[in-house]
Amino acid sequence: MSLASTASAKTQPSTLARLFARQELALLVCLILVLAFFSVTVENFFSVRNLTNVLGQASLPLIAGIGCAVVFISGEVDISIGSLLATIALPLIIIMNDTNSLLLGVGGALLFGLIIGAVNGYLTAYAGINSLIVTLGTMFIMRGGVYLYTGQRAIPDDASLDSFIALSDGRLFNIMPYSAVIAIILLVAFGYMMRHRPFGRQIYAVGGNQEVARLAGYDVRRVKFVCFIISALLATVAGIILAARVGSAQHTAGLNFEFQVVAATVLGGVSLAGGIGSLTGMALGVLILQFLSNGLRGLGLPTEWQLVITGMIIIAAVAFDEAKRRRANGG
Amino acid sequence: MSVDFLHPGEGVVIDKDVPALELRGIDKRFPGVVALDNVDFTLEPGKIHALMGENGAGKSTLIKIMAGVYGKDAGTIRLRGREVDIKSPRDSLKEGIKVVFQEIALISEFTVAENIFLEGYPTGRAGSIDWKKIRADSAALFNRIGFNVDPAARTGSLPVSQQQMVEIARALAHEARVVVMDEPTSSLTPNEVSLLFTVIQRLASLGIAVVYVSHKLDEVFEIADTVTVLRDGRHISTKPIGEHTSDTLIQDMIGRRIDNLFPRQRGAAGSKVALSVEKLSTAKKLDDVSFEARAGEVLGFFGLMGAGRTELAKAIVGYDPIISGKITVDGSRLAPHDTRTGVRLGIGLLTEDRKSEGLMGELPVYQNASLASLGAFARLGFVDKAKEHRAVQDYVDRFRIKTPSLFQQVKNLSGGNQQKVLISRWLMRGLKVIVVDEPTRGIDVGAKSEIFALIDRLAGEGLAVVMMTSEMPELLGLSDRIAVMCEGRLTAIMSRDEATQENILNAAIG
Repeated sequence: MSLASTASAKTQPSTLARLFARQELALLVCLILVLAFFSVTVENFFSVRNLTNVLGQASLPLIAGIGCAVVFISGEVDISIGSLLATIALPLIIIMNDTNSLLLGVGGALLFGLIIGAVNGYLTAYAGINSLIVTLGTMFIMRGGVYLYTGQRAIPDDASLDSFIALSDGRLFNIMPYSAVIAIILLVAFGYMMRHRPFGRQIYAVGGNQEVARLAGYDVRRVKFVCFIISALLATVAGIILAARVGSAQHTAGLNFEFQVVAATVLGGVSLAGGIGSLTGMALGVLILQFLSNGLRGLGLPTEWQLVITGMIIIAAVAFDEAKRRRANGG
Repeated sequence: MSVDFLHPGEGVVIDKDVPALELRGIDKRFPGVVALDNVDFTLEPGKIHALMGENGAGKSTLIKIMAGVYGKDAGTIRLRGREVDIKSPRDSLKEGIKVVFQEIALISEFTVAENIFLEGYPTGRAGSIDWKKIRADSAALFNRIGFNVDPAARTGSLPVSQQQMVEIARALAHEARVVVMDEPTSSLTPNEVSLLFTVIQRLASLGIAVVYVSHKLDEVFEIADTVTVLRDGRHISTKPIGEHTSDTLIQDMIGRRIDNLFPRQRGAAGSKVALSVEKLSTAKKLDDVSFEARAGEVLGFFGLMGAGRTELAKAIVGYDPIISGKITVDGSRLAPHDTRTGVRLGIGLLTEDRKSEGLMGELPVYQNASLASLGAFARLGFVDKAKEHRAVQDYVDRFRIKTPSLFQQVKNLSGGNQQKVLISRWLMRGLKVIVVDEPTRGIDVGAKSEIFALIDRLAGEGLAVVMMTSEMPELLGLSDRIAVMCEGRLTAIMSRDEATQENILNAAIG
């Protein structure tokens, strides 16, 4: 027997071990445990109404989480998404109020999101500034801009278009909130991109090892640039749904939203170091936190405690993950 | 107009009269250094062209210009007679120039199969990646070459030797006109090397121009048609291999003759035991290993790939955990089993993986050298910079470390000089036992003999040197005693006088 074959036999764990090594499976088990626990302890928790409600609430972090995960996987971070949520509501509502057209309003919002994404992406990928700093900066600039522009008063949606309102309370077949449907469609589409399109793999490669990606002929800067645009556009979609829910452009919309998304993404096993994680993991992370928060509320636990518990869970999850990885690498 | 290794016969026959690649008058300057000075390099299709030279001769720079990693400052590059402008790795790959770099350039989280097709995924309907084809083609490719690697394995989980095979296979997965291999055999077994040579000869027979960079003279004499030697950034000679002998080749490379690669200066070893290892076992590899190393001796450990040399090195310095056994350094037991205790007792490791386990590439030479002994330069908790610099300068002078200054980032030094910086780090700390793992990996002939002289001197100064090596000449030339490992066990310990290549290899096979 050759030495090479003994070596590879050693590195191939059993099928079962490989299944359990998969982040997603562990997360799925956690989610089922959370659902099972609250189904027993909280009345009406396990009802179609409550479950679909939570999915509707989860749609915002799910949609923005896709962008957050994509940027993480490319090896960067984007924490400007919370402010972006509030900012894009301005062009959206103003254009709709002026034109009575949802399409033009959404178009204006997406264009604004595109510009912000391009600014974040340019400063990070081409000007070489650390993405945490860049997006921290744009986060403050946008939030400040919204405060200045609105004078800290909400701009109400006067057009009250049915199609816009449907985004907040409409349900497909009267069951599934439209926002959750949008989230699922986007998840499937981007999940497909990340796994089966060359561009998705390029994102993983760039985040996994930038120098190797460059040697393989990838345009590392362009890949990162596009990731920031994806993130900003998805946050814009989340912002549009949020504006529909509150029926106005609010200067406080999306405050701390970015940290909620980052928390769920990290819980979902997407590494800040880049190159590791999946959108499935991110989605499971979002759902675990959302159902947990819903269930704890059902138990009558005050919000303050939910924050404390969320914080502990994230640290525990990442610590667990790190321990597992260390064992796998045998160090 | 190209040849695809996976599907030979599909390519068009290559015109043998036009050079595959022609570099003329290439200049490349880095701040303060002329890396290449008016270098010409011409590759004929179907020929294996060895590129040789010492550290800093300009080989890597020339390869990186071909690969598009660096731009050239002057000169022209012609591909089959047509002038091309290579500005990025992408341009180079598009022109069919495939470079197998010495440093593993793979994404460790990806499977082997995905890494093989990294530079161009085969896509099917609607532009989706054709994973089935990727798996099938990479399995077929390994079959063809005869390398035994699992295409479904996560690349990062494989040992370095297998990663190197993946690197080589990757260069063949796409159409190639020029294949450049930079030290491709540094972690392959003899068997794998002969497979590689078959592959290289087949590439040449398909009309591909092959550049083979190696420090191993025997390999070059075995495989090359032509040899180009660079020295100090200048072109020295290009000759058919038949016109060279080892001596003339070495002479071209270093500009002087080396009569003895292993000039032994030290006296006989003492009898004082500096390191004693008793019944050492680890979870992963080592099984009941016991031996002693004496002050002033070089104890060489030989073993084939996977024998457990690196594992032993890491276990005895306290870096990797052990499950049983006792390690004693200079009379004191290494407990608790960690590197902090190890360093305190006076045992240190010169790692085989300088880049990720030894050096902090971004930091200057002096910080890398003084790292383990900052306590000695401290005054009231602050590092006395002047004292630190003086101490490091002393080592730079003693070991003739070639660096523009103490403040140069260590990543810009050549492999041999980086190795000397690491040795300085340990000597400054006042070691009693130094464990060196593949001390000359990636280091070329001239610098090798300097490293040998350095190891000789370390033993001469009374250190016990435990040397892990897979290079027979190094083992026989430097060791006082030779220990042989096989699959985690110690199979033989013999004195240098008893040792022959045969009985060493017999013990290594087990």
